[in-house]
Amino acid sequence: MIWIVFATMTGAAVLAFLWPLAAKRNAASRLEIETNLYHAELGDIDRDVKRGLMTEADAQAAKAEAARRLLAATAVEPAQAGPRGVKFASLAVILIVPILTVGLYLRLGAPDYADMPLQARLQAQPANMDMAAALARIEGHLAQEPDDARGWEIMAQVYTRLERPGDAAKAYRNLIRLQGASPDLLMALGQSLVFADQGRVNEEALAAFQKALAAQPSRLEPRFYLALAAEQQGDKTTALEGYAKLLADAPADAPFVPMVRERIAKLGGEAPAAAAPAAPSPGAAIAAMPPAERETMIRGMVEGLAARLAANGGSLEEWSRLVRAYTVLREPEKARLALGEARRALGANAPAMAALEALANELGLGG
Amino acid sequence: MTRKGRRLTLIASMLAVLGVAAGLVLFAMRDSIVFFYGPSELAEKALSPGTRLRIGGLVKDGSVVRGENKSISFVITDSNKEVRVAYVGQVPDLFREGQGVVAEGVLVGPGQFRADSVLAKHDEKYMPREVADALKKQGVWNDGAPAPAASK
Amino acid sequence: MITEIGHYALVLALALAMVQSTAPLWGVWRGDVALMATARPVAVAQFLLIALSFAALTHAYLISDFSLLNVVENSHSAKPLIYKISGVWGNHEGSMLLWVLILALFGALVALGSRAMPVDLAAATLAVQAWVGAAFLFFILLTSNPFLRLAQPPIEGRDLNPILQDLGLAIHPPLLYLGYVGFSITFSFAAAALICGRIDASWARFVRPWTLLAWIFLTLGIAMGSYWAYYTLGWGGFWFWDPVENASLMPWLAGTALLHTAAVMEKRDALKIWTIFLAILAFSLSLLGTFLVRSGVLTSVHAFANDPARGVFILAILVFFIGGSLALFAWRASRLRQGGIFAPVSREGALVLNNLLLTTCCATVFVGTLYPLALESMTGEKISVGAPFFNLTFGPLFVPIMLVMPLGQMLAWKRGDLLGAAQRLMVALAVGFAVALIFGALRGGPVLSIVGVAIAAYLVVGSFVEVYGRIAARGVTLGGAISRAMGLPRSAWGTAFAHAGIGVTLFGLAATGWGVELVQTIKPGDQIALGPYQLVVGDIVKRPGSNFDATVAPMEVRSGGVVVATVNPAKRFYPARQMPTTEAGIATLGLGQVYVSLSQQNPDGSLDANLYWKPFVTLIWIGTLLMALGGGLSLSDRRLRIGVARRARTPAAQPAE
Repeated sequence: MIWIVFATMTGAAVLAFLWPLAAKRNAASRLEIETNLYHAELGDIDRDVKRGLMTEADAQAAKAEAARRLLAATAVEPAQAGPRGVKFASLAVILIVPILTVGLYLRLGAPDYADMPLQARLQAQPANMDMAAALARIEGHLAQEPDDARGWEIMAQVYTRLERPGDAAKAYRNLIRLQGASPDLLMALGQSLVFADQGRVNEEALAAFQKALAAQPSRLEPRFYLALAAEQQGDKTTALEGYAKLLADAPADAPFVPMVRERIAKLGGEAPAAAAPAAPSPGAAIAAMPPAERETMIRGMVEGLAARLAANGGSLEEWSRLVRAYTVLREPEKARLALGEARRALGANAPAMAALEALANELGLGG
Repeated sequence: MTRKGRRLTLIASMLAVLGVAAGLVLFAMRDSIVFFYGPSELAEKALSPGTRLRIGGLVKDGSVVRGENKSISFVITDSNKEVRVAYVGQVPDLFREGQGVVAEGVLVGPGQFRADSVLAKHDEKYMPREVADALKKQGVWNDGAPAPAASK
Repeated sequence: MITEIGHYALVLALALAMVQSTAPLWGVWRGDVALMATARPVAVAQFLLIALSFAALTHAYLISDFSLLNVVENSHSAKPLIYKISGVWGNHEGSMLLWVLILALFGALVALGSRAMPVDLAAATLAVQAWVGAAFLFFILLTSNPFLRLAQPPIEGRDLNPILQDLGLAIHPPLLYLGYVGFSITFSFAAAALICGRIDASWARFVRPWTLLAWIFLTLGIAMGSYWAYYTLGWGGFWFWDPVENASLMPWLAGTALLHTAAVMEKRDALKIWTIFLAILAFSLSLLGTFLVRSGVLTSVHAFANDPARGVFILAILVFFIGGSLALFAWRASRLRQGGIFAPVSREGALVLNNLLLTTCCATVFVGTLYPLALESMTGEKISVGAPFFNLTFGPLFVPIMLVMPLGQMLAWKRGDLLGAAQRLMVALAVGFAVALIFGALRGGPVLSIVGVAIAAYLVVGSFVEVYGRIAARGVTLGGAISRAMGLPRSAWGTAFAHAGIGVTLFGLAATGWGVELVQTIKPGDQIALGPYQLVVGDIVKRPGSNFDATVAPMEVRSGGVVVATVNPAKRFYPARQMPTTEAGIATLGLGQVYVSLSQQNPDGSLDANLYWKPFVTLIWIGTLLMALGGGLSLSDRRLRIGVARRARTPAAQPAE
């Protein structure tokens, strides 16, 4: 099919060359052209005289110059040549143009590639669509209808899971625009921004946390970030004060408590050694910490949880969290121990026992 | 006027104009041409303070200090030598630590530079050509990295 | 399939260009009219094929066909329609395709409009044009093919560089290319004249309209580019003496000189060698510009390409055409006979002076642009030649051009009356002095600005003195004056407007000395005094756009407490390229503009902003529009169209003015 089109195009192109060879010529002869020009020149000279751009005497001289030019230009009329050259040229063009074109095109082109409009590709097989295609589709949809809150909500979660915090922040920003600035959204936005900026609390994140706190003063997490921001800006006093207050207000089992402790330790430990203020601690939320440091921190939190559960007991959920945490930390022995302790603690509760069984199977801790 | 006279007039005026132009070019060349160096070259040359220059390299990580009234100071490095640059004014959109930058200004002392304009790279593909060259010399740049194609 | 048809059409166009570059020339050599006649339809067919190819590429951008590498690299499905289209030429490959499209367009126009031209001249011209076309088609197909396909098309493109996503970009390159490449046709005419050995007044008549057309487009293209830089790059400058700007200014200067000598050659059959040389020069400089921009030897806004193969290829094309045409010139120019005679003080003499100065200006720009490259390749020293160099050299050379310009308009052909002309210009001089006094008294400020506006006023008034003298003789009524004005040849009006346009632009440039510039931190509610206005900052807001996020700081511009305008400067962030851009907020008030651009947001939410009041700044571009208008008026002069008219009727039908 495509080759028929190509053949037609090539044919038309060659015809463009052959046509004038066959047609009768009606081009103006040189004598005619030059004479017309001569008269135009005379007209110009007269006009210039009228405008005062040339004197009468000079005009006469100029006219004589023009006449001499006319005589010189029309002295030779090109001769008509015989038909042999034309035949040779036609044959050459008929042969060379298709061969050259097809040869070069076959080297460069991809004749069996169809057009691939994005729209058609996206609609083609939604079932087999990979993640990227699905994303592209929703992104396309949102670009068209930026007021679809549900779409932004999904995207915010997807982006967060895909560790694309910058895009997640954009989604949250749009959600805030559409649904108003609820503390939850503000917190999510702020955390995405911190994550996106490698643990730095930038001005937009700071504003989000401040607003979240203003909207819900009982909330604790924003205060952690505000203190962190102060720390990053080098305001150690405010940071320490913020951390301390936060610790005082927080329940002992709040997930961020170990982290706050660590930050206080860091700031406090450095306080006497004021000699090296130039190297501010890299200060960061858990997510932005170097892996080793992050693991230590998580470990600290897990140990805290384990100690508390051992001492006071806890709910099914708390026990499950502990078991999972150990699994994540690649410590199956401790996980099994924790599971056993959980069984002992929750032994009286049949549904909880069933849930623990399921958990054990899921994590491969069976037996 | 004779034909010869006309020709002389023409040639004389031509020479006059060209002479004036050549004079202007030479004069302007001496005063308004600025050399470009990387930090290492700068260290080798030992130029006297007050010389007008362009220097280029990477903004050293953690070296940017912002002060009062839009004053800013940062270190340009080619991972061998460093120059501290002081500048008052707004830095371009894409001025960042670890990125290519070109500063034009005056040398105030060894390794000290006062810039009156700062140009930054323009997108992830682009690095000022002089910077790329200077870095190549220091072996920091590898050709596998995005080529210094440009686009403002 | 459409994409592949486009690709095939491009290859076929190359084959046709090769036919067009040989067969007609062979015809000229053999004196075979039939072979010469093939040039016209083949030129049209070649244009249609390239147009088809261009349409196919545009189609691929519109449907976001990411199986084309070029589309992937420069488009994005969420990009607004207009930028999908302008994205076609917002990259190296596409812009080269546009380049040859325009080249072929001029070829086709000449083919269609050359019935009144001698067939050998038309054939040779089209053949030379096809040489250029074939060279660039080869270049595109072998090193910069926009039709390369990907077997595994990605799902999204990499987007067009955000700074290029702008309405100005949609217009600027096509206009600039129409001018740049337009000089290809005068080049082809010059080479054809040398080949055919017919270099006389009639040749100049055929060439003049094309020169004028290319010049108009180049003028508009440069102006558009400078306005684009002014409002997108966000620091309020409009001309940076950037090598790429110089690359477009050099052909403009040479083209302007050509326009004027072609007039002398047409009217007086004089300055023939010089005219041919300028025609070659103008296009050579266009080619040089293309080389500088496309090879990536320069670091600038426009250098997309950084492939050494491309640079070498274009350099080869450059050397071939410039060297070839100059060799042809050297070989044939000696055959030229002396034309019309003129005295040094005459219209011709003034035009020679204009040429001398324009080409010298061009040479200084050339030196300033290429000297750093030459020095670096020889000694390895890197230098930068910036605005101070050009201001120092270009300025002093351009001032005499402007002073002599109205004088030249007043002089007669062959032999002029300098004293009489000078006397008639007393009015213009007086106005110039008056303007200098008024501005000096009212505004004070830099001497250079005052001198500048004085020259500008002198130039504007002086441009119209000649026309005025024709219209308003003593004792002529208003009605009589109007009918006399209508009776004047359009080209006289064209000259007056184009020259006045330079004066108007100069006025705008000079007035920059009275501008006000503030760099300051702003926050909502701030009141800032800027020149004659007060700016009141509104709430700083975030506004997501289709493929970017924006932070906008709306401001009210007040004059005496009354809100006269609002500006919305913004910072945008384009996630696809992780790139911020600055959108200046501009309000035009009278002839001046309030210009605000944001630089960065501080931790406390305030913004750093540059605020400018630029009095009379719009005159810079209004002046260029006037120049283009003048060119258009001249082009519409019936007299000039003889070269493109169908077939001139009988001699009796010639205007007997």
